[in-house]
Amino acid sequence: MATQVDTSASTGAGRVASPSFWSGVWQNHAPGYLFLLPWLIGFLGLTIGPILTSFYLSFTHFDLLTAPRWAGIDNYMRMFTNDPKFAASMRVTFVFVVFSVPLKLAFALGVALLLNRGMKGLPLYRALFYLPSLLGASVAIAILWRQMFAGNGLVNQLLANFGIQGPSWISNPNTSLWTLIILAVWQFGSPMIIFLAGLRQIPQDMYEAASLDGASKWRQFWKITLPMLTPVVFFNAIIQTIEAFKSFTPAFIISGGTGGPINSTLFYTLYLYNEAFGFFRMGYASALAWVLLAIVALFTAFSFLTSKYWVHYDD
Amino acid sequence: MTTDAERLTVVTGSSVTRRKVISIVSHVLLIGASIVMLYPLLWLMASSFRPENEIFTSGVSVLPSANWSFDSYVRGWNGLRVGFGQLFINSFVISALSVIGNVVACSLAAYAFARLEFAGRRFWFAMMLMTLMLPYQVTLIPQYVLFLNLGWVNTILPLVVPKFLAADAFFIFLMVQFFRGIPKELDEAARMDGAGPWRIYWKIILPLSMPVLATAAIFTFIWTWDDFFGPLIYLNDLRQYTVMLGLRTFTDNTGMSDYGGMFAMSVLSLVPIFVFFLLFQRLLIEGIATTGMKR
Amino acid sequence: MSIRLRRRQFLMGSSALAAAAAFGAGPAWAQGATLRQFFWGGQARADRTYAVNDLFTAANGASVDSSFLAWGDYWPKLATETAGGNAPDIVQMDYRYIVEYAKRNAIAPLDEFVGGALKLDGFDEDQLEGGKVDGQLYGISLGANSVAQLVNLSAFEEAGIEPPNRDTTYDEIREKGEAFKAANIRGGIRIIADGSGSEPMLDNWLRQKGLALYTAEGTLGFDADAAVEWFTLWQGLRNDGICVTAEDQALDTNGPLETTMVVMGKAAMMPSNSNQLVAFRTLMTDNLTITNYPRIAPGVGGGHYRKPSMFFSVGGSSANKELAAEYLSFFVNDLEAAKVLGVERGIPCIDKTREAVAPDLGEADQIALEFVANLGDLLGPLPPPPPAAAGEIDASLLRVLSQEVAFGARTPEDAGQYFVSEATAILQRAS
Repeated sequence: MATQVDTSASTGAGRVASPSFWSGVWQNHAPGYLFLLPWLIGFLGLTIGPILTSFYLSFTHFDLLTAPRWAGIDNYMRMFTNDPKFAASMRVTFVFVVFSVPLKLAFALGVALLLNRGMKGLPLYRALFYLPSLLGASVAIAILWRQMFAGNGLVNQLLANFGIQGPSWISNPNTSLWTLIILAVWQFGSPMIIFLAGLRQIPQDMYEAASLDGASKWRQFWKITLPMLTPVVFFNAIIQTIEAFKSFTPAFIISGGTGGPINSTLFYTLYLYNEAFGFFRMGYASALAWVLLAIVALFTAFSFLTSKYWVHYDD
Repeated sequence: MTTDAERLTVVTGSSVTRRKVISIVSHVLLIGASIVMLYPLLWLMASSFRPENEIFTSGVSVLPSANWSFDSYVRGWNGLRVGFGQLFINSFVISALSVIGNVVACSLAAYAFARLEFAGRRFWFAMMLMTLMLPYQVTLIPQYVLFLNLGWVNTILPLVVPKFLAADAFFIFLMVQFFRGIPKELDEAARMDGAGPWRIYWKIILPLSMPVLATAAIFTFIWTWDDFFGPLIYLNDLRQYTVMLGLRTFTDNTGMSDYGGMFAMSVLSLVPIFVFFLLFQRLLIEGIATTGMKR
Repeated sequence: MSIRLRRRQFLMGSSALAAAAAFGAGPAWAQGATLRQFFWGGQARADRTYAVNDLFTAANGASVDSSFLAWGDYWPKLATETAGGNAPDIVQMDYRYIVEYAKRNAIAPLDEFVGGALKLDGFDEDQLEGGKVDGQLYGISLGANSVAQLVNLSAFEEAGIEPPNRDTTYDEIREKGEAFKAANIRGGIRIIADGSGSEPMLDNWLRQKGLALYTAEGTLGFDADAAVEWFTLWQGLRNDGICVTAEDQALDTNGPLETTMVVMGKAAMMPSNSNQLVAFRTLMTDNLTITNYPRIAPGVGGGHYRKPSMFFSVGGSSANKELAAEYLSFFVNDLEAAKVLGVERGIPCIDKTREAVAPDLGEADQIALEFVANLGDLLGPLPPPPPAAAGEIDASLLRVLSQEVAFGARTPEDAGQYFVSEATAILQRAS
């Protein structure tokens, strides 16, 4: 699942003559663990405990206010046999992931490429395109989004110029999810910045050499830019997908935590949050969380497996 | 040799006009798109100068109100009993410490994952990724109990210490991807000269990773600034509230709200993160591309 | 984790004992003691509360460490702190959650302090009753309010229609609504918001029919026929353009004032609460007032009741319960405190404090006070506190079904049947 075994490092370390077995072990493994030490302390000291606790809680009934009671696999059983909202929230989340992630990445990459041409005013544009991401998902955004996508909102006023009578996008159960997808795509700033950083990492002399060989811009893009950028594309794709599966705040803010109208924006984590803190069922919420983790982990493992065929590292 | 040179001049010659056209088209596209990007901010600013009873009756207009005033700013700034100035200081301290913690701790861990060979590396990498996948809502209470037992609740420690322990796997993963893009020949050459892992990390990896370190710094600052759930759970004392937490106290569904103050302080709250972004984005363009590093 | 929680609680308890022993009995502990207080609200409520806390410190010597959050942020934080055994000494409680917290000992019964640290002489009987769970006193009402309809007088004037009064019935709303629609003002604003998903409005309508939302035993107080009738009533009003459309009503996310139909300019009336008039007035230039919910038939009343708008309760794990009780006593009895608080949290529950606040009230507060004081035949008995699952039935059943009917995904008959069977199942699961 993790990075490919890189043999050059071990041969490098192997060059050092080892007087004994243990010093060999020390030579080979100690530097790695020393660099990893802060993270290991944090992981073992602060992170893993709460994670394991939530796993335990997923097998209990826990109402937050009194001690958890053991429930065996009740929570998981209920999820798959007797909970229509589980299925509904799954569907909402999958639609969101499938549409928002590719669109957001396409926008981010497109704008990053456009901005990487060394044109005038580049820092200004970069800042402007990052602005929506600065705004995050605040109450102000919720109010603005309602003004834009309501029945008499800005979007429908624009559409009216073309003779189109739009619905109340944000409050119609058939379209409300799309306003959240648009919000997610609109805030493409973070992957854009990461793409930009990735583009700057590509050695300039590769392009110079290619130009000398008469390679067209188009060919340079396919033969240099894209392959060199694959580690970053890979990162953005994985991270954005995980984040989209876990997406909570936009739906929480815009639907006021209801996931409405008619559960059409009931994101999985919003449902989970309502179960935990609205209806005092933390045990069930924990079980929901672990099912989500399993799905996301499967997806991630699959991505790492396929990555060796299309992600190019320099090692 | 001559043919190469000829070809080069031909290519550049024909592309001058083409490049100009592309440049103009790009600018037009970018300006148009910028307006879409900028509109909400203009609306936010317009709203912050409106009287309370005009905010919701003005729709999406960005034109200033005839009755505009700074009242909302004055009211908002003096809100929350301790004043918003204190909240800005609190947010800045937490965000700045988080930037330092994240950049240092995550780059160390990322270097280990990207460049060093050790037993259990794949296992720990998988564990690290797993921490990204669990929704925070369900680890919140166990984590709270943990910090409570450490005596850290109602201090900024629960918000800052995890950053120094690289708890944010996003940045480790990000840096791993970039570190792996740095040519390995550089490490090899340095190792030939007798450099150890620390020197390679310090002298080669970090200097060549300015874009990703700057990215990490920018994201950490902005995301820490924008985070409200951590401060919400761990800070009790009004004097310790952050800006984001303060913003959320302006509107309450059950009683009197102060939307004007909320809009005004929302606008002000954007200033530090935007300035931080502008300062650090210069570092985004320094990298292998500009340091002239030959392979 | 549960073990750690218990140990923590034990430690806190024993250290409190040790502290009490060190200081000896008597009021000595009050000097320098600190109470932690936590409430939901906005800036206006915070300013008043802090001023009262200063008065309390001046009078008593104990200080109050207080923080506040908006409603939506308040509950997850309180639940987290309670789960960690670190709940504040004084917490603000809502009618909706008091049973939940009381049954799990997350808040403490106050009966032992009544008459001692906690003086409740002359406290309105129904307000006292509202803070009781299973016969024990868990919350002190900080004020009474009542459900009320918010009325946009300017819109009625523009349409040239007489605004509703205390005798208006649902049928008359329909007649006025037809005229309102015909007047076609402000881009087709309707007379009333869609109330089918409003739990208080359903409750009020049921009470007028002699039914109830929930019984004292915590079961559903009405059958499928009543539920079907309710959804059918609103389906008719919706189809005839009396109330707002499904798409408009769905803009209201049940909480933020700015998403409500009156503020958004979609309706001239909507279900609300008496204490919210002040807040709504700051958001609109139109002239607003309140009136009662419609009657189901001429002369039928009893739908309204004086609801404790919110309580103060004492944290179950608090080490300073008696001092906290003393604070509550001060909060509801002290006349200076009453003047500072006004009616921001609701109408005070003791005659002398009501008299103390009355002269200084603004116009909107005056309207609210008079409305709650003069309910007359509209006033019915105080219903029992809702069962623990009531919040879930409201959020994930009533509101969703109301939208499903409005958008045509279910018939009113289907929705009514489903509501009763599903609500019964939820109540059984929770008990």
